[in-house]
Amino acid sequence: MSENMENTFSNYGVYDVDDALELVLPDTEIKIERVGDNAFSYFRKNSDGEIIEKMIPVKSEKIKIELAPIRPLNHPARRTNYVFLKFDKEIYLSSNSAASIFVHCPIEIGIFLINGSDRESLDWITCDSLNSRFGLYGSPDTGTLCKYAEVTLATDMTDSIPYVEGVMKIILENNLDSGQTVSKVIFPITDNSLYYENSKVILDGLRVTLRKRAVVSIADVKSESVDTDWTKSPTWEDTTASTSMEMGLE
Amino acid sequence: MPLEFLQNLAEINLVGTLTLLSLLIGGIIMAGGLITAKIVKLLFNKYYAPTLPKDTAQNLGKLIYFGIIIISFLAFTSSQGIDLSGIMVAGGIFAVVIGFATQSVVSNLISGIFLIIEKPAKHGDTIQLPDMGISGTLLDIGTFSSRVRKFDGTVIRIPNEKFFTANIRSLTVSTVRRAEAMVGISYSDDIENAIFAIKNEIKVSMPFVLLIPEPEFRVEELGDSSVNIQVLVWHPRDDWSQAQPILLTAIKRALDKAGIEIPFPQRVIWDPKN
Repeated sequence: MSENMENTFSNYGVYDVDDALELVLPDTEIKIERVGDNAFSYFRKNSDGEIIEKMIPVKSEKIKIELAPIRPLNHPARRTNYVFLKFDKEIYLSSNSAASIFVHCPIEIGIFLINGSDRESLDWITCDSLNSRFGLYGSPDTGTLCKYAEVTLATDMTDSIPYVEGVMKIILENNLDSGQTVSKVIFPITDNSLYYENSKVILDGLRVTLRKRAVVSIADVKSESVDTDWTKSPTWEDTTASTSMEMGLE
Repeated sequence: MPLEFLQNLAEINLVGTLTLLSLLIGGIIMAGGLITAKIVKLLFNKYYAPTLPKDTAQNLGKLIYFGIIIISFLAFTSSQGIDLSGIMVAGGIFAVVIGFATQSVVSNLISGIFLIIEKPAKHGDTIQLPDMGISGTLLDIGTFSSRVRKFDGTVIRIPNEKFFTANIRSLTVSTVRRAEAMVGISYSDDIENAIFAIKNEIKVSMPFVLLIPEPEFRVEELGDSSVNIQVLVWHPRDDWSQAQPILLTAIKRALDKAGIEIPFPQRVIWDPKN
């Protein structure tokens, strides 16, 4: 996405709506208009031609809307808390070594109605519906259903692709006695918060530890908070998933 | 005064040693038993049943309820001085007669118990009984029968004996399921092109199809009129309706876009005179 195109789209953030508000995102238009003294209408059209219309009865004169990135779990339907990131390049780790990488991670966008200190979910969209698909980690009977994405490595934390992908830092630790190649990571993304600034997004990171448990080599994946002054996105989904993920090594 | 009233009742003989007072006491015992059974069942349903599978909770609830009523009845008969040994002997003979007459009922009951123990499927599972041609959602496994809500919305009751001995295919045990379709392309068309076109269309228009495992394509047969390709795609188990019914549509659209022919059955007639 070019810089010019990026500038034509609405940034993440809080918007006051007195009479009308129009938000423009890639392949998506959102309109909020006053339709009476105590009501607003919400209209959204995306690239598939799907139209969502809602009425928002309110008590106050104006409403506040927050446009914020959310976890990529809702399109095409909410089925899992897990995300399967397949790296475009494999990462080789020597024995007893560690490395930090930045990867792109898909995101979706939430539209929240601000009610006092609460953020209520009004709608959500994806600007990359073609790449919002499922994948299975493991066998059909016992495997884990995940949102699947083939991702590229990012240069740094600010290298996010606006409205489509955020950046996540992954710390890889190889505590095994042999070199290992890491090509994917599977984790419950409900533990990872998102942060935004203008149209850029970062996510809480991951710590992947390759270690031995009894005779089996495993990859232990845990969430790690990121230290940033960017605005934290509202949490929307259930956060009842397990707090870590163990992957088998191939 | 109440004591005198009770003494009067005790003096009124109805049949043999049965007095109005003993009948009153028996009635109180039975009523107490009934009320206790209802209260215990209510408490069980409120506090304990939610932690159990629905079928188990339902059957355990019935067992507790009728168990208390039977105990109350035994207490009632002993309070009346009724000797059950005679009934037991008669009951033994009666049980044999009833046993023959109600074989299927007992069989259903026993099958129900084994179904609850074995748990081949649980409440809410989508199941298929291929031998009976039944598919739907299992509503419950009862004492004598099980109920399945078919996909057309109707509910079918299956005697437990038949359900227990039937082949049961569970459609919701696995995380994902596979949808399949067969398509024939013309001999003059390139197989790789056809597969590429179908794969691309599935990726674009079927969001519930999994990318891992990838859609699979098998050249199944070099048929009389066409090269037959089998298409296999995986989808989340609850999204069958977003995969299987639209798979052929997507395949047809892909082949139309790519200009690949789906040939009609054809036969070449050779005339030796020409």
